[in-house]
Amino acid sequence: MSKKFGVYICTGCGIGDALNVDQLVEVAEDEGFKTKTHPFLCGKEGVDLIKQGLEKDGVNTVAIAACSRRVNFDTFRFDGCYVDRVNLREQVVWSHPSTKGEEIDHVQMMAEDYLKMSMEKLKKIKLPEAYKLENFTRKILVIGGGITGISAALDAAKAGFEVTIVEKEAQLGGYAAKIRKQLPLNAPYTQLSAPVIADKIKELQSFPNISVKTGTVVARIAGQPGDFTVTLKKPGEAIEFDVPFPLPPEMKVDESGKEYDKDKLNEIYKEYNTGKNDILTLDPNGEKFGAVILAAGWRPYEPGAGEFDHLGYGAIPDVVTNHQFEQLAANGKIVRPSDGKPVQSVVFVQSPGKGDDSDFEYTGSVTSLVALKQAKYVREDNPDGKAYVIYQHMRTPGLQEYFYKSLQQDPGIFMTKGEVVSVSQNGAGLVVEADNTLLGEKIQINADMVVLATGMVPVTADDPVINLAYRQGPGFRDNAIFNQYADSNFICFPYETQRTGIYAAGAIRRGLTMEESIEDASGAALKAIQCLESANRGVAVHPRYGDMTFPDFFFARCTQCKRCTEECPFGALDDDEKGTPKPNPTRCRRCGTCMGACPERIIGFADYNIDTIGSMVKAIGVPTEDDFDEPPMRILVLVCENDAYPALDMAGLHRCTYSPNIRIIPVRCLGSVNVIWIKEALSKGMDGAFLLGCKHGDDYQCHFVKGSELASIRMKKIGEALVSLALEVERVAQYEIAIDEFDKLPKIIDDFAAQIEALGPNPFKGF
Amino acid sequence: MADAYRVEPDLGFINDVIALGGADVKKCYQCATCAVVCPISPDTRPFPRKEMIATSWGLKDKLIGNADIWLCHNCGDCSTKCPRGAKPGDVLAAVRAYAITEYAIPKALGKAVNDPKKLPILLAIPAVIFVILGLITGLLDFTPEGTEIVHSHFFSTWLVDLIMVPLSIWAVAIFALGLKRFLADIHANALLEGKTNQKRIDPKGFIEALIRIIPTILRHDKFNECGENKDRATAHMMVFFGFVGLFIVTSIFFVVLYIFQIHGPYSQLNPVKWLANISGIALVIGTGLMIKSRLARKDQVTTYKDWSLIGLAFGLGVTGMLTEMTRLGGMGGLSYALYFIHLMFVFSLFAYLPFSKLAHLVYRTVAMTYAEYAGRK
Repeated sequence: MSKKFGVYICTGCGIGDALNVDQLVEVAEDEGFKTKTHPFLCGKEGVDLIKQGLEKDGVNTVAIAACSRRVNFDTFRFDGCYVDRVNLREQVVWSHPSTKGEEIDHVQMMAEDYLKMSMEKLKKIKLPEAYKLENFTRKILVIGGGITGISAALDAAKAGFEVTIVEKEAQLGGYAAKIRKQLPLNAPYTQLSAPVIADKIKELQSFPNISVKTGTVVARIAGQPGDFTVTLKKPGEAIEFDVPFPLPPEMKVDESGKEYDKDKLNEIYKEYNTGKNDILTLDPNGEKFGAVILAAGWRPYEPGAGEFDHLGYGAIPDVVTNHQFEQLAANGKIVRPSDGKPVQSVVFVQSPGKGDDSDFEYTGSVTSLVALKQAKYVREDNPDGKAYVIYQHMRTPGLQEYFYKSLQQDPGIFMTKGEVVSVSQNGAGLVVEADNTLLGEKIQINADMVVLATGMVPVTADDPVINLAYRQGPGFRDNAIFNQYADSNFICFPYETQRTGIYAAGAIRRGLTMEESIEDASGAALKAIQCLESANRGVAVHPRYGDMTFPDFFFARCTQCKRCTEECPFGALDDDEKGTPKPNPTRCRRCGTCMGACPERIIGFADYNIDTIGSMVKAIGVPTEDDFDEPPMRILVLVCENDAYPALDMAGLHRCTYSPNIRIIPVRCLGSVNVIWIKEALSKGMDGAFLLGCKHGDDYQCHFVKGSELASIRMKKIGEALVSLALEVERVAQYEIAIDEFDKLPKIIDDFAAQIEALGPNPFKGF
Repeated sequence: MADAYRVEPDLGFINDVIALGGADVKKCYQCATCAVVCPISPDTRPFPRKEMIATSWGLKDKLIGNADIWLCHNCGDCSTKCPRGAKPGDVLAAVRAYAITEYAIPKALGKAVNDPKKLPILLAIPAVIFVILGLITGLLDFTPEGTEIVHSHFFSTWLVDLIMVPLSIWAVAIFALGLKRFLADIHANALLEGKTNQKRIDPKGFIEALIRIIPTILRHDKFNECGENKDRATAHMMVFFGFVGLFIVTSIFFVVLYIFQIHGPYSQLNPVKWLANISGIALVIGTGLMIKSRLARKDQVTTYKDWSLIGLAFGLGVTGMLTEMTRLGGMGGLSYALYFIHLMFVFSLFAYLPFSKLAHLVYRTVAMTYAEYAGRK
């Protein structure tokens, strides 16, 4: 489809007052773009004006120079029309005092540059066309037949989707079928509930669109969302479609530590995975699924030998974990393991007491609540029973606070914050010693049993579980920073994992109660459905939801360096034996990290590629001494669209002002920044450049997990290149900003501008 | 380890305190707002925060022999400010009621005094004793002679004293036994918790402390420091001085009877009679005010232990005044009947004093004296 351009300039919200709009129109008209202005473009009249252009003149590629693209999104969205927003409001007139009539009209120059950049971009883009899968399956695979998996399957089935549950055990139910009682489910939240799992399983059987495979695990999941090919097997079985594992780092190098060449690596890899088909070989008998809900759950933490010696675990049979205590309770009246006598007094230890206030590993509010539940068992079994809970943290979120309060009221339940020092045998009983208690002194408690609040280990700690036939490996990458939970640290985006189309729910995601897991299951089910309803139309899932573009490779120039395959945060690319990447567009989240990685610059998106951004950089006017005696500096700022760009908008909204010498280009993620843009900026005479994006590291805020981290690595390398050009490394920088830190932006920008000012103008200026 | 405290919660104790009006004790989450807002709590080791957790953990040993529970005047400031509605004021009152029954022997009688079901039996005891003893000795005459109404013609003064004098001795003896243990306990507790600067109790110093503390008690100084329940001080003072006045009148009557052989009733012009009447009226009005305030205050717990004592004091005053009024009004039969009931109340007062809430007059006095002696600040 051929492009027909248009420019619409809004003069409202202070834009018309601060800028010379006629001059702006002239800039656009000079480029041959038909331009219209309106004082209230987002009003009905203004929108009609644009629609008129679309309908009568056949305009389909427009620049709207008005407010930020983050506002009025729906107002300025037109079917069949590509819209680029020029942010004249938040990032020009609201964040810079007007310079109208001054010797150098900085603000006008800024607005004109942004308009030119937009027009240049519009000229270079291709109109996006969605990627359509050849085969598309709407079926959902649920891994795990516990309370989470069953709930997720029920939710998906009720929404009309076909679901298959695979459960490694011989029967459904998981842990939920092995307990005495559940936490309160109904108001007033003071009484324990009977387990709901039996009813859930019964309900499951009434859905013909749910099939259940017990005694089954996933051997491999190949393909991409909307078209996964899944091989199932019996637990422990070894089959040819077991997923191959990537080589561990120590096997990739020879004795001297040098990495083997490609052929040798392939050879070792094949040897390492003997008997297994490569990831690119599809199982002809595999079952097709569109999305996966990972609800494989957890296993009880098993204390290591001597780990809790001071608590008597291992040496004293009456010191048990909460899991062992639950089993005792599920068998009937709780009796002591040592002599089978009913228990009178039980101490629940919530923190191991190793000199700090940390809890046991893999715990959380769920272990607090389980201790309360089990304390209630003690009281139910014996009216004279005493249950003590010694905690460092008591977490009872939501309505379970009522349960906590009701237990506080029980005369036989005693709770105190405190540090458990030791547990020792005293005749037939035990003595628990605790310090720093609310009683104001060191105390000793006589007990029949001691229960340790050990945690719920996600099964992903032991095994990849999902067994993805992905080149990056079968499990989630770098999962150690999440303590092996199937999480992605997307605080704002629960259920998302680092693998598109795989949505985690329940205790595999974090320690959860059964009640929370049931809710969690709904979330993951909805996410899986959303993924299917996006993949079928070829649009991206979160966070660039609705994006129709996808990475396009110019394979003729690929050097098979594998960098894109290795660096993709979502494992979207699978290279073949030679190293040529095989894209899987529905796995892709459209962050562009591959584009930033590619040294050959052969990867791009229809409207976002090396050329479009490069052209925008070129469109920035760089004043020289020919123009002014003291030409203003020009600084390129590549801004992450997820957090940094909204922070800049907020800075404008709050009328924070900063240097008008910067030129902002939003990028999908700092990971997509190709250093060529910075080199181009500097070689055309711009005086500096910096990246503004999310925090990276273990507690990263990057929406694409790895982007800002990769960018920082690449920026270090560019420093070397600058030195070879005799440019100071200080001309390039990267800053981190959180979405709510808009107030820090003026200082970051102005400090950088001052630093560049001190370095003096770029010597390449004017060449 | 020797320095650790062995926690042994007493579930029975917790349940008893709950029944005695401390039902909300377990709500306490140890924020210590109560100890901060309490106007009369000392600065070092203040109450009632520590008493709240000790109660909710059933640590009887930390409470019964703890003088601090008696320093509390149930101002109610703590209960009003408590963010959790744990009502520390009422909890301490319940703990005190429990402590009274612990120190007064026989314990069964203590339990009975706090048990509404036992009330008919407790009231029947004086009636039965009066009738049996009266009939045996012939000192109870159901057909008194003469036109002038003289109560001793019906219920001989000899009979009254035959019963009441040993009864007073019994009350004093029970108190003496209880106090011996009480004083030893509170001293041991104070030493353990570092609340005293005295190693042992020196009788001379202790009596000096008692003399120092008496004006404080008479003026109701501590009560007046209260915020929430300050208005209760007036009623309490009326009842208190009513009893003091009546005690003085009875003593004078006793002395005059046995030394000067002069019988009552006295003339209304006699100053002793003035004091008797004023005291009686103060007792009736004071207890009446207490009833009114207890009924009006919904946020404060009022249990049987409170009602039974107010009822006793109110009954005592009302029957006394009515006996006098009916005597002056010439209603002989009614007056004799009221006198009988009045004597039943007097009996109950003496007999059950060491077991009822009224025992606080002894325990609190001793505790305040001890605090003064021990230098508790």
